[in-house]
Amino acid sequence: MRTRLYGWAAFPSLLLVWSAAAWNLPPYVLPQPWAVAAEAVRWLDSGQLAAHVGASLLREAGGFAVAVLGALALGLAGALSPGFRAFSAPLTGLFMAIPPIAWAPLSMIFFGLGYVAITMVIVVAALFPMAVTVQEGFLAIRNGNLRAARVLGARRWQLIRHVYLPASLPFLTAALRIGFSQAWRALVAAEMLGASQGIGWMVAMGGQIGNATQVLLGVAIIGMTAWITEGLVFRRIERRYRHWHLA
Amino acid sequence: MDCEIPTSLSDNRLGDFSNDRPGGAAFRVDGVDFTYDGALPMFRSLTLSARPGEFVALLGPSGCGKTTLLNLLSGFLPPDSGRITIDGETVTPEMPALGHVFQSPQLFPWLDVLDNVRFGLRMAGRLPDAEQRDKAMAVLSLVGLEAAAGKFPHQLSGGMQQRVALARALVLEPRLLLMDEPFAALDAITRATLNEELLRLCGRLGQTVLFITHDVEEAVFLADRVVLLGIAPAGIHSELAIDLPRPRHLRETRRLERFTTLTDTLLERISAIVAAA
Repeated sequence: MRTRLYGWAAFPSLLLVWSAAAWNLPPYVLPQPWAVAAEAVRWLDSGQLAAHVGASLLREAGGFAVAVLGALALGLAGALSPGFRAFSAPLTGLFMAIPPIAWAPLSMIFFGLGYVAITMVIVVAALFPMAVTVQEGFLAIRNGNLRAARVLGARRWQLIRHVYLPASLPFLTAALRIGFSQAWRALVAAEMLGASQGIGWMVAMGGQIGNATQVLLGVAIIGMTAWITEGLVFRRIERRYRHWHLA
Repeated sequence: MDCEIPTSLSDNRLGDFSNDRPGGAAFRVDGVDFTYDGALPMFRSLTLSARPGEFVALLGPSGCGKTTLLNLLSGFLPPDSGRITIDGETVTPEMPALGHVFQSPQLFPWLDVLDNVRFGLRMAGRLPDAEQRDKAMAVLSLVGLEAAAGKFPHQLSGGMQQRVALARALVLEPRLLLMDEPFAALDAITRATLNEELLRLCGRLGQTVLFITHDVEEAVFLADRVVLLGIAPAGIHSELAIDLPRPRHLRETRRLERFTTLTDTLLERISAIVAAA
């Protein structure tokens, strides 16, 4: 019970420290939390906030969806074929070592400023870590379960449908969680470089015009969106599969 | 945990499951050679056969290649030469005549007990869903677990899980049952109960059983014939017919003088194998 209390105290503490720091600084450097809250209300009322958040979520959804399909294909191919696995491992390693935002300028030269350019950066950011997790998930399926299914008459496609897919659900949801957060990070960064709307743009623009309140509002929204999706959606799905590893 | 073990199984339960006994398959291993890549030979011209309905226990010390042998018998590994056949047909893991119970239950954790048992019927896809369920339920009651049908594997004890695994194999009415030390990981009491239950089921369903174990008493209690394996690549060391009366019961059978004589004989032979190695 006491441990839980510490958890509940975390965010109020953060706000207190923020507020205390803001007492000693001019508001154009570090505004008070309530100033940011008031800014949020202004943005909400004007409908601007919804427009920017909506634009960001639309890009996230598009890029994430493409990356999920790609990661499933790559992960499954890698799990089923040792040859493909050996071939793709160095490439995946290389692409994962490059910060996704480094591709943004190239993507913008290729596709021009707009939805596709930013979405492509998201795809690159999410695809490879997800593919690796999916592949590891398929490989981790206990050989025993596969054998059991084979003696019970399962053929190749039945194995994929009735063993590989359900057995890898815990890994698939972990992959989704990792991919979503990678995509989100890349999205914000890409929007800061080359977008005319979106939360990343909001932060970058706030910085350029010296509006610290707008920057902090954007940062808060970025953090909370990711935190809420992860906690409410992905962690919850993952919890359902926890007992699977015990059997 | 294993409170749901029935003390006796009534015949009408079996009637739900199978109208005519599936019967046993003839099993033959014919001059099989096997060597892992770059290793010493495991088997050289291994020959072994089982009559339909016979219960054969394969007994051997660690390192005799029991697991390799079972992988060969079930077709997971192809022999370098020679043939392994069930009723004259070359064995493959997917063969419907072949049932397999592994050392660990290998239940599918994402399916409940009923769906685990039904798995093979779903793969075959010959029966409508309702009939698949009925049949799975009948086999579950055969192993005394109908009450656990809606549970998930992690909610069951080890012994119950292994009974589900047995039911999952039996639902396809295999004519040859391969059992790879299926009760080795269980405690002595659960294991003894399951041994007795297995004999009762086999007596009724009549399939041929190849039972791998390293436990001499278990082998003698269960089998019609014990085949003793030597250290690789020796192959089969010797055989011993188990002429104990059936039906066998836990306490009565183990008290027989003949039981002691047979286990002693086997123990002496195993000591000789280990000493020679």
